[in-house]
Amino acid sequence: MKRIFDAQLIGPFAAMVIVTLIVAMTTDRFLNPGNLSNLFLQVSIVALIAIGATVVIFAAGIDLSSGSMVALLTMILAQMLKFMGLPLIFALPLILVVGALLGLGLGLITAYGRIPSFITTLAALIAFRGLALTFNNGSPIFSLDPGLEPIFYGKLAGIPLPFFYLLTFYGLAAFTMNFTKLGREIYAVGGNPAAAVLTGINVRKVQAITFAIAGFMTAVGAVLMSARLNSGSPNYGQTLELQAIAAAVVGGASLAGGRGNILATFMGAMTIVIVQNGLNLNAAPSSVQNIVLGLIILLAVGIDMWRAELSSLLSSVFGKSASVKGG
Amino acid sequence: MTSDTTPLWEFADISKAYPGVLANDKVCIKLMKGSIHGLLGENGCGKSTMIKTLSGVQQPDSGRILYNGKAVQISDPLAARDLGIATVFQEFSIVPTLSVGENIFLGNMPRSRLGAIDWRKVNSESARVLKEMDVNIHPEAITGDLSVGEQQLVEIAKAVAMDASMIILDEPTAALGEEEIEQLHQLLRNMRRRGTAILYVSHRLDEVERIVDEVTILRGGRVVSAAGETEINVSEIVSAMVGGDVGEHYPKENNATDDVVLRASGLRTKAGVSDATFDLRKGEVLGLGGVLGSGRTEIARALFGVDTLTEGSVELGGSPVKFRNEMDAIKAGMALVPENRKTDGLFFNFRASGNITAASLAEISKLGILDLLTEADGTERLIDELEISAQAEAKTVNFLSGGNQQKIVIARWLFADAQVLILDEPTQGIDIGAKIAVYKLMNTLTRAGKSIILISSDHDELLAMSDRVAVVQHGAIKKIVAAKELSHDDLVRASADNIEHVSKEQLAS
Repeated sequence: MKRIFDAQLIGPFAAMVIVTLIVAMTTDRFLNPGNLSNLFLQVSIVALIAIGATVVIFAAGIDLSSGSMVALLTMILAQMLKFMGLPLIFALPLILVVGALLGLGLGLITAYGRIPSFITTLAALIAFRGLALTFNNGSPIFSLDPGLEPIFYGKLAGIPLPFFYLLTFYGLAAFTMNFTKLGREIYAVGGNPAAAVLTGINVRKVQAITFAIAGFMTAVGAVLMSARLNSGSPNYGQTLELQAIAAAVVGGASLAGGRGNILATFMGAMTIVIVQNGLNLNAAPSSVQNIVLGLIILLAVGIDMWRAELSSLLSSVFGKSASVKGG
Repeated sequence: MTSDTTPLWEFADISKAYPGVLANDKVCIKLMKGSIHGLLGENGCGKSTMIKTLSGVQQPDSGRILYNGKAVQISDPLAARDLGIATVFQEFSIVPTLSVGENIFLGNMPRSRLGAIDWRKVNSESARVLKEMDVNIHPEAITGDLSVGEQQLVEIAKAVAMDASMIILDEPTAALGEEEIEQLHQLLRNMRRRGTAILYVSHRLDEVERIVDEVTILRGGRVVSAAGETEINVSEIVSAMVGGDVGEHYPKENNATDDVVLRASGLRTKAGVSDATFDLRKGEVLGLGGVLGSGRTEIARALFGVDTLTEGSVELGGSPVKFRNEMDAIKAGMALVPENRKTDGLFFNFRASGNITAASLAEISKLGILDLLTEADGTERLIDELEISAQAEAKTVNFLSGGNQQKIVIARWLFADAQVLILDEPTQGIDIGAKIAVYKLMNTLTRAGKSIILISSDHDELLAMSDRVAVVQHGAIKKIVAAKELSHDDLVRASADNIEHVSKEQLAS
């Protein structure tokens, strides 16, 4: 367990706690139970998609496609449920497979076609949104299935279901990253692809798999998005990819690859959502929310980049003198 | 004002502390006009810190800097340049996408009267400097397309072009072949004759012995031997550097048997291997000797499945093998320890354990789940056995010294139980103590019946540590001789034969 809960969690955890304290002190409605459970509902979709975004970042890639892919997948799901009459029990696994395959496709193009993932997923960001518009003449599809909404709004032992999805998927992701061959290979590929090749790691395969994971998690997010509104729409998921990446970055994942802790991404997502929630409760306009989100990202990366300087500043403040020692 | 006894540059009582370490403790160095001054010491002795101070990258905490007897301050690299100090760093500071001429005048481009860059002058001046250096590189060539050795010469051309009064060379020959080293030394002798003060930092003591006029030796941030106090010969220098007797410099064990492990016949690749035939025996160290660019690394790449064979065949353990890529070669028990451990060897995001087990993940996992206990035990055993720093598992490996890093890369293949190891420049850039540790490690490997192909530009090392040496020229193995029967000069001559642009004169000097 020491492996999962390591020092990389301290910073993001502290950030989350500080933000929570500030919001709780300035907003009295923040701590009431209704708001807190609403918080989980709010964070669930972006936090789940952020798992995939983070895994891709660990392997030194970037996935910009998830927002548009959510729109596309909700439209495909709507099509299957509403017009093809597919039962929910078949449609759901199918949409997860479609998501994983779309991701895998992007991964294969990136890894084997040697096109930077920034480009392949940027192309997908644009094309998937367009593809979503080809369904139902580009109009949203409503009232899909009576069984859909409980997936998002249902409760187990009084706790909203999305809490359990988060627990399950973050648990799986933490296990994969820390205790499996695949997880180690992802960190290795992100840390030094040239060295990974020379140690016999199938770098391209690993890269492709990370995008398949991202596609799968995006599909999970898309199902929840559909369930939340019992609909599919080509306009869903705008900027969701950026929020997912922001969660990873606020959680301390290095965009250069190889470094970060998947659980910290959850804290990153929580931090962002808590700030948004606080601003919402204080009736701040969405323009302000975006500005604040931008500042949070800058601050999170800044603190990471200036860590050495900050720690030497701290130690000089607390008067630790440099010991004399030959190098 | 100045006399012959006034140093051109005097650095007096320079101290510099980093958090937790006093990197330089009252270091004094005097650089005389027209003299090549060696600055030596093991890794971590404070050389790099000193170089950074001298080149204006950082400021000393205390101490005085005198230029021609007058106190000056080197406030930043620009000030250093204005004072006539040129530094050639170990890590190149050239821009690979720019032309040679642009690199030579980078930050100091000749301008026309209107302020535009005077390209004609850039190119003609560059051509003049390169000609003066006796280097055959076109000023308009893109620097990134040149060989590493040529890039190093461009780096030095920058210093020549600015007419530096003092030039600092940090490990200038790390990437150079023998003839290029000789070319560089000739160049330095010319500069010395013209009165330039040269500070020469190198781990290659055989070279230092040949080129420097005086040495300052650092240990633990202090000067342990000032100019004139140590005779310039390798053993004297070594004992001053490590502060005692190091024992045998090359502790070679003969573990070679007659069993052939690997047989290569008539290898040819598009990357430049033209005809490589040799066999490698169990427990043997086979050295590949030759100048930089002779095709040694390419032969290694061909064996390892990186480059596809267009002709020839490889037999491993008596049966023919065909490697489509590195993965095939590793599965068959081959290993390549690359020349550049920083870019191609280490995972800086991992601690020792992640680095050591990286090539054996399938072996230490069941159903895709890693056996972390086996990993921890194996790592602990190897850290212990190879005397790797105890810090290796506490922090990621970027905090370790070059010697410890190199041991970790080799430990990876011990853990993977590789049978044939290709070591490409395994001791480059590591200090003498760590070098000896790597040599001992080679003995451990051969004693265990593993075979090694050693590529090294350090001829003394190659001759001392190999059982046999294959001489490589133009991608072909010309002959294979017992290392004992070969001398340093033989090797230089054998590998430099047929190379047209090296004059006999340069080789003789």
